[in-house]
Order: sequence, then C-alpha cells, then structure tokens
Amino acid sequence: MLESTRSLPDRVGSVAAIGGAAVRRPRKRRPDATPWLLLLPVGISLGAVSVFPILNGVWLSLRNTSLVTQEDDFVGLLNYRLLMGDALFWNAWRHTIIFTVVSTALETLIGLGMALLLYEYFVGRSIVRAAMLVPWAMPTVVTSKMFGWLFDGQHGVVNWMLRSIGLIRDNINWYGSVDHALGTIIVADVWKTAPFMALLLLAGLQTIPNSLIEALRIDGGTAWQAFWYVRLPMLASTLLIAGMFRALDAFRVFDLVYVLTGGGPADSTETLSTLSYKTLFSTLQFGYGSTLSTAMFITEALMAAGFVVFIARQVRLAR
Amino acid sequence: MTDRNVTSAAAVAQTGAGRRELLGAGLAAGAALIGGPRRARAAGRTEITFTSAKFFGKETIAEVVDAYNQSQGKVHVTYVELPPPSASTEVHQALVQQLVRKSGTPDVFTQDVVWIAEMAGAGWALPLDEYFPAASRTEYFPGTIAACTYQEKLTALPWFVDSGMLYYRTDLLEAAGAKVPETWDDLVKTASALQQGGKAKFGYLWQAKQAEVLVCDAVEVIASNSGSILAADGKSGTLNSDKCAEAIQFLYDTINKSKISPSDVLSWDEEPSRAPFTGGDAAFLRNWSYVYSISQDPKGSSVVGKVGVAPLPAFAGGKSAACLGGYQYGVNASSKNREASIDFLTWMSSPATQLHFALQLGIAPTRPSVYEDAQLGKEQPFMKRLKSVFTGATPRPVTAKYAQVTLAIQSGVSNALVSGNVKAALEAANARINTILA
Repeated sequence: MLESTRSLPDRVGSVAAIGGAAVRRPRKRRPDATPWLLLLPVGISLGAVSVFPILNGVWLSLRNTSLVTQEDDFVGLLNYRLLMGDALFWNAWRHTIIFTVVSTALETLIGLGMALLLYEYFVGRSIVRAAMLVPWAMPTVVTSKMFGWLFDGQHGVVNWMLRSIGLIRDNINWYGSVDHALGTIIVADVWKTAPFMALLLLAGLQTIPNSLIEALRIDGGTAWQAFWYVRLPMLASTLLIAGMFRALDAFRVFDLVYVLTGGGPADSTETLSTLSYKTLFSTLQFGYGSTLSTAMFITEALMAAGFVVFIARQVRLAR
Repeated sequence: MTDRNVTSAAAVAQTGAGRRELLGAGLAAGAALIGGPRRARAAGRTEITFTSAKFFGKETIAEVVDAYNQSQGKVHVTYVELPPPSASTEVHQALVQQLVRKSGTPDVFTQDVVWIAEMAGAGWALPLDEYFPAASRTEYFPGTIAACTYQEKLTALPWFVDSGMLYYRTDLLEAAGAKVPETWDDLVKTASALQQGGKAKFGYLWQAKQAEVLVCDAVEVIASNSGSILAADGKSGTLNSDKCAEAIQFLYDTINKSKISPSDVLSWDEEPSRAPFTGGDAAFLRNWSYVYSISQDPKGSSVVGKVGVAPLPAFAGGKSAACLGGYQYGVNASSKNREASIDFLTWMSSPATQLHFALQLGIAPTRPSVYEDAQLGKEQPFMKRLKSVFTGATPRPVTAKYAQVTLAIQSGVSNALVSGNVKAALEAANARINTILA
C-alpha cells in the first residue's frame, strides 16, 4: 500500500516522460495523438460508469422526478432547500458521522494493535495472519445475522456473559433501545473491519527498514521508544491512507443497519444510506432521493479532501 | 424462456445487497418482458401477459395459468414471475417500472394490497366497475373490496387475503379457567395472571420493529378503538386524534405498565416474535396465518395441539380489527386486450380457482363462500377457521402516497413507543403526513 502511494509522484513523472518522449521524436504529423488515443478506452469506460452517473445524479437532484406521482420537472434548488429543513436528513447525517468517526477510530486503534502483534515473530504466525482476515472476508449480511443472535435481548450470548460475570442484572435490549442500538452496530462493524485495517497497517510496518530499529536498540532504546519514535512516525502516511479508506467506506454503512434494525427504534440508527434507499427505492422519489445521495457525495468529498491535505503534508515531510 | 430471464434478474436483485444494481436488474427484468418472444400459439388466440410476485405450494402460479390456457381457446396468457413477496420493494419497483412505460405490458398483474391506491392514483390500473358490478362485489370479504376501491372506483380485484390474528395457548387458558379475550383489558388481565403465575415467561408478543409490520400492529389497535390514521377522504392525517393516542398508549403500556410484553418487541418483526411463542414461552401472540403450520410441526414447536386462533381483541365499544394483507389483481390501464384480460381475471377470481389456490398453494380465498367447501374443510381445516378473522380485515391507510406515509407512521409510532411521549410523537408524525399529502 505504502509503496504504491510513495511512488505515485514517480509514476506521474514517468507518464510525463513518455509524453515528453513523444514530443521529442522527429517530426510526425500528429505527435501528441498516441498517448491520448491509448488513454481513450479508460477515459470512456470511467466516464460511462463513474462520471456520467454522478453528473446524472446531480441533474436528477435538481428535479422533482417521482415515478409514483409521475412528475418530472426542473425545480432548481428546491430539493436542497427542503433538505436543509428536513429533520430526518440531519438525524441520519448525525448518525452517519458518529458511526464513521467512532468506528474508524476504534478500527484504527485495534487494527494497529493487531498489526504490531502480528509483525513480531511467533510460532503459528502465518496461520494467525490468515485467520485474522476471516471476519473481513465474511459477507456483511452474514455478519449482521450473527450479531443479531449474539446481541439478542433474550437469548443472546453477550447478555448471558455480562450477567454471568455480574456486570448487569437484567438483560439489555441491545437493538430495541435508542441508547444501545447504534453502539451495537458499531461493535459489529469494528469486529468485521478491524482486520482489514490490521492488514493495511501490517503492510506499512513491513516497509520500515529494520536497520532503524536495530540502531535504536544499540542506542539502548526501549520497545516503547521503538514504537513511538520510529514506527509510528514512519507509519503516519499509511495510517492516514488506511483511515481515509475506512472512513469513506464506513460513511456508506448500509447492510448492518438494514438487516439489524431497519433504521429504528425511533430512527435512532437511520443512516444516510438507509434513508436514501428508502427514499429512492421504497417511495420511488428519484429527484429528492438523488438530492440525498448528492448530499452524501458532497460530505464524502469534503472528508476525502481533509484526508488528502494531511496525506500531502505527510508526503512532503517524508521527503 | 422469458420467465427464466426475469427470474434470474430478480434473483440478482434479491441477493446483490447493492442498491444501485437493483435498478439495473429491474430494468433488465422489464427489458426481458418487452423483448421476450411472443410465440404464436393456437391461431386466433389473443396473447396477454400476467405478472405476479412468486407464490408456491404444491403447485406454482405458472401451473394455474396453464390450466386457464387449456380451459378455453380464445386467450393465451404468458406468465412472468417476479421475486417473492418477501422482496416486496423489488417487486414494487419492477411493477412500477413496467407500468410507467404504458406499453400495455403486462396486461394483468398482482399487487400488494398497499399499492392499490398508488397504481390507481397514477392511472395505471383500469377501473373495473363496469365489469364487476356492485352486486358481484358483495361476494367478497368487505375489507378486501374496501382495499380494492380507490376514490369510489373499483381498481383492483381481490385475489387472496391474510391478516393479523391472535394466537393463544389453549392449554394455559383452560388450566386458568379463562376464556379467549375479546377486549384488550381482558387480554392484559389474563396475560398478567399467566405471567405472574409463572405459566408463561411472556404474556403477549407483538411486533414494533420500525418496519411495515409496525404499521399493521398500529392499524389494528387504532381501528379497534374506532380510530383511523387518515381522514375518510384520505387527504389529511388523523394520527393526532385521542383515539389513536389511546390505542398507541395501550401498546406502550404492554411494555412499560402491565409488562405483559418484553421491551424486545421494539426490535422484533414477525419471526423473532414467533419463536418464543412456538417455543412455549408466551401465552398470546399477534401474527399472520403462517405461524399456525409452524406451531403444529413437532420438529420446531413445543406447543403442538395447544394453539388456538381468534380475532384480535378490541377496546370496549370498539370492533375487532385485523390488518389486511395479501396480493390483489389489477388490469393495466394501457392494456390493448381488455376483454381478454377481464376474461382471465374473472376466471382467476372465480370460486373454483380460489378453491384451487387454497388447496394447492395454501392461499386463503377472498370469497367467504369458498370457506364452506367440504374439501377445504378436510384438507385445510385451519384456513376454514380463519373466516371469522378475515371478516374483520381492515385496510391500511388508502392513499396514492402510501409509500411515503408508511415511513412517517413507522417513525412516529416507533418514537411514541420508545419515548412514551405518545401524544407529541403522533402529533409530529401527523404533521409530516399532512405535508406529504398536501
């Protein structure tokens, strides 16, 4: 992961070099056409599957298109004005942000711990490394069903355990209470995705030259100092990139909520994805639904931009 | 081969958890419908298409359609299958995407009872009054005809019915010397007594997950208190009325005051609430008709032979109400073969075909007269007993914007049940409903 991003400027350089080479070649009729022609298939396919749907979504968000009422008129920014005053949207937006921040933070911390452990040599390490990925490889719907049973209010193992060790007296109603439902979904997400973070960070750890650690040892540094002064700073850009991946992905959380709570109770687990799904596909309001999706897109773009600023600074510092 | 294309596209739609893919799959289904080859059968037959969500028992719908094709020589029906009703959102979407094109395909379709107003309001469903005059409509359960009527026009024809009902433990009631409750007060008394006597872990189980089923449970208590969620003209909400507040307050109290229901019902839909009942942990359960066969299967049930079914209780002075479910027939307003469509529809909705559906697919008839059939009594004794339950079937709010209204009701009632601030939560939901309907 780290290597490929590190070498990004080099690659850009080499692309430029190819372009440059084309220019430097002896006179030909259309000197610049070849690279552009070679890029054309990629350009067309990306345009068709990525740029066009986004633009079309934005266009739809300015219309009142609804299959049911059969309206389809341009309404300008009306949908956005409605969105600003839509309590359900802000409710879902808040839950999505909370979910993203908390789950990404926990997954990064736990993933880092797992990566540091798995970096050290011990017997059976390769098996553990492979086994670690099982939660991540599982379809989310399966994870959801599994956590549905684990946190079942009546017969769930979690309630039984907490009761056995005396932490609670009565069963907790995990999914039926506004105080616990979102937290329970975050726990399920952390279980599922922390291994993915661990994998990314492990890859990052392996790019840190061992000589640095050896040098520190010779100087009499402790394990903590090795972590704090060598590994963590060297890992910073990997952490940021992994965090960005995770945050952007967490922001779109859908399956867990859809299967476990359907957004309830009392809208306490409604997220932007589930709200958009309901608006787009249950009520078939394509116009307003697209406004919701565009709002999601904008929020994600801002988040990504925030991460990119930090990553760029890291890359500059590293040079 | 058209059938298979559609089924596989639909299967993709069901399994692919992606959201945008659904649209694509729906379009593919639509394309398969239109582009499918129309093989000419016996010369001179009118070709029509019929599409329905997937139901099956000992037979499939396709086999019933074949029986129609063989029974006469004028019309040939091509059957196109949609996903099963559990994937209701996808069925709805596939149907709307075909109807919105106004191409005349499919000629005849089946629809969930809550979409009827939407289809009619959009002008996609052909009014059927001239083909099925008032006299012939009295042959159906009144609740199903009410649900098939939009702005005083019959825009759908009843196919089959299901509804909410009260399951109870005959052994527990007998031992306690209690009779089957007819009012909610009686239910609370009997359930509390059984619960406190240690006979049952839970008194009464129902469903309050923020989902469609919550609207069904709400409609039942509200209607049994002579209230309603929408005004009679369907143009404004009445969820802020005292009748509604009393009814929802009752539901809240089952969890927090009489405590005959565990707070877990707040996250339960049908199956989670069914499991403790068939496991022998509950005295009463509100659910649909499917629970009965599970409760009588010794492999998964510990209450075989101990389960009774009755209409749900009502408030003092109110009448028992059962939320109406089921799929009903509609004719595409753009159909180019109206006469043939009506002929097919008449056959499909006839007493003989309804009996066939009941015996072979386990689908409950919408004509009370079919329940008197001796063979039905022998093969489906349970279904026969449901006649009294279905007589009280009550439609959910009838409005073309039901898809939006139901989300507002789900959110509002869930809020009321969680916070206990019933009046305020219903007031807020009602304001939302009024904005949607305005």
